[in-house]
Amino acid sequence: MKRRKLAALWAVLVTVVAALLVSSQTVPVSAQNHGHGNGVREVPPPPFYNPYPPGILPPDLPQEIERVRREVRFIENEALAQWQALTPPTLTGQPPILAHTGQRANVLLGKLMNFDENISPFKNRACGFCHMPYAGFSGSIPSVNLTMIAYPGSFQFRAGKRTAQRYTYSPNFPVLNFNAAQAAFFGGNFWDSRATGYLLGSPDANQAQGPPVDTQEHALPDTACIAFRLTTAAYRPLFETVWGAGSLDIKFPHNTEGICETPGGASVFGTNTMPIQLSPDDRAKANNVFDHWGESLDQYEASPDVSAFSSKFDAFLHNDYTLTPDEMAGYNLFRGKANCNSCHLDGRSTAPTPPPPEGTAPNSEDTGAAANARPLFTCFGSANLGLPLNPRDAIYYQDKPDFFGFTANPYGFGFRDLGLGTFLRSGPGSWPSPNDDWTPFAPTSDGQMQTSTARNAALVPPQCPTTEAPGPYFQKEFFHNGYIKSLKQLVHFYNTRDVYPFPVTSGNCPAGKTEKVDCWPMPEVPNNLDMTIGKLGLTDTEENQIVAFLQTLTDGFTRPYPDINTFTGMCMACNPATDPNCSPSRQGNGFLIPTPPLPPCASAICGVAPLPGPKPIP
Amino acid sequence: MNRLLLMLAVAATAGPANPVSAQFVPSSKKAAHVRIFKGPELESATENLTIIRWISDNPGGSPEHFGVVHYGKDPKDLSQTAKSHIRLNPTHSYTEFRVRVDGLAPKTTYYYKVDSADAHGASDGVISPINAFTTP
Repeated sequence: MKRRKLAALWAVLVTVVAALLVSSQTVPVSAQNHGHGNGVREVPPPPFYNPYPPGILPPDLPQEIERVRREVRFIENEALAQWQALTPPTLTGQPPILAHTGQRANVLLGKLMNFDENISPFKNRACGFCHMPYAGFSGSIPSVNLTMIAYPGSFQFRAGKRTAQRYTYSPNFPVLNFNAAQAAFFGGNFWDSRATGYLLGSPDANQAQGPPVDTQEHALPDTACIAFRLTTAAYRPLFETVWGAGSLDIKFPHNTEGICETPGGASVFGTNTMPIQLSPDDRAKANNVFDHWGESLDQYEASPDVSAFSSKFDAFLHNDYTLTPDEMAGYNLFRGKANCNSCHLDGRSTAPTPPPPEGTAPNSEDTGAAANARPLFTCFGSANLGLPLNPRDAIYYQDKPDFFGFTANPYGFGFRDLGLGTFLRSGPGSWPSPNDDWTPFAPTSDGQMQTSTARNAALVPPQCPTTEAPGPYFQKEFFHNGYIKSLKQLVHFYNTRDVYPFPVTSGNCPAGKTEKVDCWPMPEVPNNLDMTIGKLGLTDTEENQIVAFLQTLTDGFTRPYPDINTFTGMCMACNPATDPNCSPSRQGNGFLIPTPPLPPCASAICGVAPLPGPKPIP
Repeated sequence: MNRLLLMLAVAATAGPANPVSAQFVPSSKKAAHVRIFKGPELESATENLTIIRWISDNPGGSPEHFGVVHYGKDPKDLSQTAKSHIRLNPTHSYTEFRVRVDGLAPKTTYYYKVDSADAHGASDGVISPINAFTTP
């Protein structure tokens, strides 16, 4: 009865909202079509959630969503074929091992899960939607990367607050821990390290458990919905091969589908995070399935299918590739004058450069032995680099209830992303911290975000061979809030943050100044700024050489990168003669919007003990 | 509970070790003779914010490090402190410190000396003579 009432309400609302959309939005109503005609039963979609002012959602969003969904289904079908072609493993030994092909079976199971759209209320979002191979398993839609930065979830257009992090090498991060000797946190997954891995021993597996039940992403309302949807998956036999016969034999109540097709956060659930009524035994089974979900995805991400160690730099370490003069100059800057390897560890034992100003890094001889044959270009730590607030971030606009009565961000522009600090306080938008002993370190962690690996920052589809204008290029987004749009800008930010600081917000640089070129707006979080960066003294040429080096960290050089040829969208390109923003330095500047006057940081974020300090966050 | 005790307590409850921890940044080796050989000097100055920078030999110790500026309007009273986070690079023989000093008054002369400290706040013992700057 409840569903019938809901359907009737939807019908009325669809009419009203569609009329509003047509008059105020460039996104066509056809975007509500969730169907893909593969025989899977479709769930009637609810009306759009569209609290966004005109221009926040990119005009091609509906088409791009469908484009990526087609690509996702292509890879899913490919994975099904790979599974069918696999010789089944043999369960043998004590302890029992899936001998011969068990590891590959688990990797393929993870791949099948990663590209399975059914793990979402409206059967329209797979993990891969936001993490496609041709983008280094990060954001798949150039126009989203250019504008709203967070990806639309299963209930369109809820969206998150941060960029989609690359999968590559995320399984190498350790369980989040506080290192007393270094007085700092290391490890975890997600920008704010909230996927600690404290239960599974793997932050990456823990991370994979997040999006399926994140209200802004897949939005399943109960972790048991994963087990429920897997019971009807085509690859269910593979799951049972890997994790045991009977592992999906759970007695689900008759209303389970109705629950699982209602997005999380819906007011009908109240605060209940386990609305599916299961017996204790079946709940335990469903929990095991949820853990296995994360574990198999982790093994896929750890496999050479994703974390390939197949870059030019890997070949260089094995003496199979000679870096070009610019690449080598960039490498010497990376570990010398620019000091990038103080956190993006390059695995070399010594530095060839004397201190500045006498430093001759570009001309130095590489005397460093390889200390690590597979350097990960991260220290697993976190830092506040001082990025400005990005007013295009979709999260700021989701301050009104949606059709299901859920409001993602009641604080509007009072939201501040304190990253690790908010997680340590178990604050809004993060997860509860599993360790109260960490809480006192929140004030010294405010604004800190995880140091990503530099590997695959430059990975793009083959037909759009660069991240940099004029192209043809694939528009990516960098850092947690996507404020930076090219690798040139990224290096320039590190180099000049403190050379061109202005006490303004993004979109409000003084006349005569160009944002991201000779004007950097003030940091969103002024506390705990990392001062290793900000004035590196690099020339324009040296910045470009570091970009050239970063491009050597792209997998797929020593052997093809799996599924990199699946991009079917359009590359971007521009003409420098007619477009003043057609350069790596100004890429995306045509899409800057003025940050509105900011209200104070919401008390639910900045008023939670231990308070940010030594000064309050504005 | 002081900060060091708190850190030790946290370490004791941090959970199982992970083999990947072997890839953490190692502590830096202290240079044979640690001295400030460039600066301290003003990198930039506005009415209420300056950045002071200097370069010393690598003081060694934890990669998490802080540049520290003790300052005040009277050279005999440098009771105010500003500190900024940097990361030591264990592969470098030198370290550049940069410290933001904010909340300053315009057109005012301040006296300062610089220091550096490890992650626990322990001084590296490399302290400059007293210098001065005047805000615009």
